[in-house]
Amino acid sequence: MTLILMRALGLVGAGALLGLLVNGVRPDGVRFARFAAPSACTVTAAGGEQAPGLAPVETLAPREAAGLCGDAATVIADVRPAADFAEGHVSGAIHLPCTASGQAASAAVDLVAGRRTLIVYGEGTEDARRVAEEMRQRIRRPDLRIVVVTGGFGAWNQAGLACSSGPCATCAASPPAASATRAPASVP
Amino acid sequence: MSPGVVLPLLVRLVLGALLLLAGTLKLRDPTAFATEIANYQLLPAGAPVLAAILPAIELILGAGLIVLPRAWRRSAAGAALALFVVFTAAVGSVYFRGINIDCGCFGTGGGPIGWLTLVRNLSLTAGAVILLRFDRPATSAAPPVGRLSG
Repeated sequence: MTLILMRALGLVGAGALLGLLVNGVRPDGVRFARFAAPSACTVTAAGGEQAPGLAPVETLAPREAAGLCGDAATVIADVRPAADFAEGHVSGAIHLPCTASGQAASAAVDLVAGRRTLIVYGEGTEDARRVAEEMRQRIRRPDLRIVVVTGGFGAWNQAGLACSSGPCATCAASPPAASATRAPASVP
Repeated sequence: MSPGVVLPLLVRLVLGALLLLAGTLKLRDPTAFATEIANYQLLPAGAPVLAAILPAIELILGAGLIVLPRAWRRSAAGAALALFVVFTAAVGSVYFRGINIDCGCFGTGGGPIGWLTLVRNLSLTAGAVILLRFDRPATSAAPPVGRLSG
């Protein structure tokens, strides 16, 4: 038994060594130092197309989107840079910028489990749509509604909807978490 | 040939061929394969190293299952079993987290992970178990002959 194990380890070790050697020699080998793990916006979803049976990402005006916030089954995601998020964000929003790691996007997927609506907003409409489309590809639940807020946080502010401000303790960390300034009550 | 001989032979040829195929296809674009591994969100930092070594390990084990003598074949089957268990755990983790990514099992564009991927990986694991259990040296039915005295 020990001999079998030793030989198995030898085979795996030989394979690993060979793989490293070949990778180092070939010009198109993967470069360990330069390899960038996929971010929230570049994670490759299977197929790359809209999965059948999934509703497309919706676009709603801030006031309409705010109407969904009262539901406990709603998650709000802010895709703006950390500094902007720290200056002010929608109450209860998680921070999920495009530059967030794929791991953060996965954590967001876990957070959305069991919820019915994901509202995404950014500086404008398009930056939020990129993340929203990515999340649509990654979360294969037909019952999940994904909404982009038209005009982003600026339009939300202009409409006079509720916001919260303060430093974002988790912005630099990988997994997204609810803001430290999360208000106890949901946004009206 | 008895079923006890044919079954391990078939299983090791199929597993060996599949490992050779998977390793060869993964070798075509290591960087894309590293991205596929990172998409699993289990070991994103280790993705490039895994992308470099996994195809070669699969090739060695695949060739080992087909051409090596029995004693070494059993070791290759044991290593393949460990590999398939890890692959199945990774695929299961992605499936149950509801993440929509390509499997990367046969290089890029291997299709999305679904329950069929899980079943396939479990079948491969079962195949490796069969090899470990049945690809043994034949034991002699006759009792050991003692040294005659006198």
